[in-house]
Amino acid sequence: MNRTVLFIGLAIAAVVIGILFVGLGKDPQAIASPLVGRPAPEFALREVGTGNTIDLAQLRGRPVVLNFWATWCGPCWEEHPVLVANARMLQPNVQFVGVVFQDSEEKILNFLNQRGSSYPTLVDDKGKTAIAYGIGGVPETFFLDKNGTIVAKYVGPMSSDDIRVNLQKAMK
Amino acid sequence: MIKRILLVLLVATTLSAQQLKVPDAEQFVGGPKGLPLAGESLERRTSEVSALLRCPVCQGLSVADSPSEMAVNMKGQVRELLARGYTEEQILKYFELSYGQFVLLKPKFQGVNTLVWLLPILALALGVAVVWMKLRKLEQAPAAKPAADAEEADPYLAKVRDLVNGGKR
Repeated sequence: MNRTVLFIGLAIAAVVIGILFVGLGKDPQAIASPLVGRPAPEFALREVGTGNTIDLAQLRGRPVVLNFWATWCGPCWEEHPVLVANARMLQPNVQFVGVVFQDSEEKILNFLNQRGSSYPTLVDDKGKTAIAYGIGGVPETFFLDKNGTIVAKYVGPMSSDDIRVNLQKAMK
Repeated sequence: MIKRILLVLLVATTLSAQQLKVPDAEQFVGGPKGLPLAGESLERRTSEVSALLRCPVCQGLSVADSPSEMAVNMKGQVRELLARGYTEEQILKYFELSYGQFVLLKPKFQGVNTLVWLLPILALALGVAVVWMKLRKLEQAPAAKPAADAEEADPYLAKVRDLVNGGKR
């Protein structure tokens, strides 16, 4: 009886340790999105500052880096110069687009005026676009191929290497 | 006349180019399959369906319970979809296609999620088995001597009994 109980206890412990080992070994930034491999949800949103409407469908024909961000998000401040520099370097072959997440247009404009911008930033009224893209926090970035299919999602602030690695998937 | 038609076409093209568009549930789950709701039933169903969705920016709160802006927006979208005639199943599917099964507070009986449903039952079965084995072992153990035998063997008690009964047993 004692041996049986010991065996059962060890088996349960082995399963729990196995699950923890697999879970903790994963990259927390690499969150699987059900949208990867699917056409990007369509939208046409107003650009901060100019008031122009940017339609995602019109950007087909080249890879798109779609970044959801906000001024109240610390990691977004860290990521912003990386995105601006990469956009300056890669556009027009790659289109960068920012979508504002739960923020005011005024704050976004102030931020962009102070810190610079090299790509359009769009207003997402009532967060419908963010919801459709499954945004849970910012920054989150989607990489679209030239056909408008989502090929990768990145959660957290990106480095230039992260952008390069994910853009390679979009270039295939 | 031609100039006027061209002008109308130009204005129409400009207006359509300026028209804002947000992603729609129809892109994900097709058209509504139910009846549009309104009034009290709409509010009641909005609360019920929102209670099945996890707020993605909260710690273990449903969309119905969370006061966060994200949850308020999601609840607003649930209300809008119900008002358009989308069914509960379609609405849950729409959010699942955006967020994954993480957004469903009641996990589906498939894949790894099966463990969530089966492990409590297995744990209960294991507990019952352990108790049953323990009881069976107790039944098989030799019965303890009756108290009367123990009293008979005790010389002190025997002496007391003799004194009380006047030497008769």
